[in-house]
Amino acid sequence: MTERGDVIYEARNVGKRYGAVVALDDVNLKLHAGEVVGLVGDNGAGKSTLVKCLSGAHNPTSGQLLLDGVERVWKSPHDAIQAGVETLYQDSGLAPHLSVSSNVFLGREQLKPGLLGKMGFLAQKSMDKQAHEDLERVGIAVPASGRSVAQLSGGQRQAVAIGRAVAWASRVIILDEPTNHLGARQAGEVLHVIERAKAQGLGVIFISHTLPHVLQVTDRVVVLRLGRVVKDAPTSEFDADTLLGTITGLIAD
Amino acid sequence: MASTEAKPAGPAAPVTQVVAPTSRLKAILSNQQFLLLVVWLAMVIGFTLIKPIFFSVDVAANILLDWAPLVLIALGQLIVVISAGIDLSVGATVGFSGVIGAFAMKSLTASGQATPTTLIAGVLVCVAVGALVGTINALLINYARLVPFIATLVTLGAASGLSLVLTKGAPIMGGPTDAIMLVTPWIGPFSKPVVVIIGIVVLLWLFVHKARFGRYTFAIGSNAFAARAAGINVKRHIAKVYVLSGVLAGLAGFFFYLRLNGGAPTSGFGMELDAIAAVVIGGAALAGGVGRVSGTVIGALILTTVTSGLIIIGVDPSWKRVVVAVLIAIAATLQALRKTEGRAS
Repeated sequence: MTERGDVIYEARNVGKRYGAVVALDDVNLKLHAGEVVGLVGDNGAGKSTLVKCLSGAHNPTSGQLLLDGVERVWKSPHDAIQAGVETLYQDSGLAPHLSVSSNVFLGREQLKPGLLGKMGFLAQKSMDKQAHEDLERVGIAVPASGRSVAQLSGGQRQAVAIGRAVAWASRVIILDEPTNHLGARQAGEVLHVIERAKAQGLGVIFISHTLPHVLQVTDRVVVLRLGRVVKDAPTSEFDADTLLGTITGLIAD
Repeated sequence: MASTEAKPAGPAAPVTQVVAPTSRLKAILSNQQFLLLVVWLAMVIGFTLIKPIFFSVDVAANILLDWAPLVLIALGQLIVVISAGIDLSVGATVGFSGVIGAFAMKSLTASGQATPTTLIAGVLVCVAVGALVGTINALLINYARLVPFIATLVTLGAASGLSLVLTKGAPIMGGPTDAIMLVTPWIGPFSKPVVVIIGIVVLLWLFVHKARFGRYTFAIGSNAFAARAAGINVKRHIAKVYVLSGVLAGLAGFFFYLRLNGGAPTSGFGMELDAIAAVVIGGAALAGGVGRVSGTVIGALILTTVTSGLIIIGVDPSWKRVVVAVLIAIAATLQALRKTEGRAS
């Protein structure tokens, strides 16, 4: 577990301003293959802004993003997704009226072979089958991928959303509050999926307010406060009290 | 299935059986398309019992001529509604495209063009006008950031106003006089344009329920944020949806031209409400993400059958509005019930 792979994703001196408001200021973050980095901070610390920059939803005002050592400028989330960077946003990853398999394949639908495919016709059976396999592979058992997501419970939806992201991610997966609103058992399952993703060699960025989860699943913790990184250290250096103290600023940097 | 085979090292299966299998009978009875078909058949039987002549090829042909343009704009509306939008401009676009098409066909006929050439040019002009209105809707929604209701209210006003200004309120005649022959029955009660429109309906069914176009439309209507995060170009798709609705309204405009043998500025007047009614009766949710082509097709058929039936049995056809209102209320109630049921599970 202490063996880390190469740096796969890096934010170098990243800054983001919205008019006069400085949301991120000179943020540095390195993510290694097979590593889970916890990103924590109080509300307004800049976690969401950093996630948006890393996932391609926003562009940083200054600084660089490097994937596998190569500088990247994301034109859209789609750009980042295609490069292997998957993001699971807080509470809004799925289309509830669509089936589980339609959600897993959303935005990268398989088309029928030949002319029908060129006209945009979907290879639904093949997607149903593969969605089921993909979710099982990352540790999620779904009874029927034809069922609409609205019929699943909150925990099941979250499991599908994470399974989808893990199944597609080839380099990096960013999880924004994935254990929010989940019961203890369901949260445990989500953490298990994260461990599997890590074992596959993905880099995982885990954003959470639930500090016990952060301490349980991460290898390293990056603490943001008022848009700056105030601490970047191995998780073993923290316990619940010192982590909370660092987030709130009660413990000096 | 998978849950019983979970390996010891694996997680406790997070997703378990959530919904008890419903009985087949219950599934059929709760199927809105099936219920609609029953309602429609009951209407046909009822009208026939009161006035047996209702059950005739002539009446069927007439109903189909009413149904064909309505189903075109209703399916355009359905696709817009699935995307969580609304298109109020379709009725005005029917009249506007018919008028502009009529001007084009009038001048072509005056310059001695043959009927087929004139009609082909006419249909292209009508479709282009519809596409133009759809494009303006899309620009207003995507770039002027108007909500669809306001954006399409703007184009409704502009298109219907322009139609009246350009025609001074009178139909534009002077196109090919033999064009009206096209809307006479060809096979049974079906005229050639109706057959073409049925073909378009089948194509739309395929594109909405079997193709990526429909999948993206449902996804955007269900959760636009998730669609965008999945890499779908939401603005571009919304543009396609409104242009398609406009194109279908343009085709309906051309159909009215054939039927009237002229372009009347008032020909689609108020039809947007019939289209929305067909969509709602057909089981679509105005909040987006829900809808079936088959439901809208039968919804449109019910609306046109009621109109013809009431006239034939000698009831003031204005009662149609009341009947439609009741049907909308029932359909919307079913929709609301289904929603709460879904939440409970």
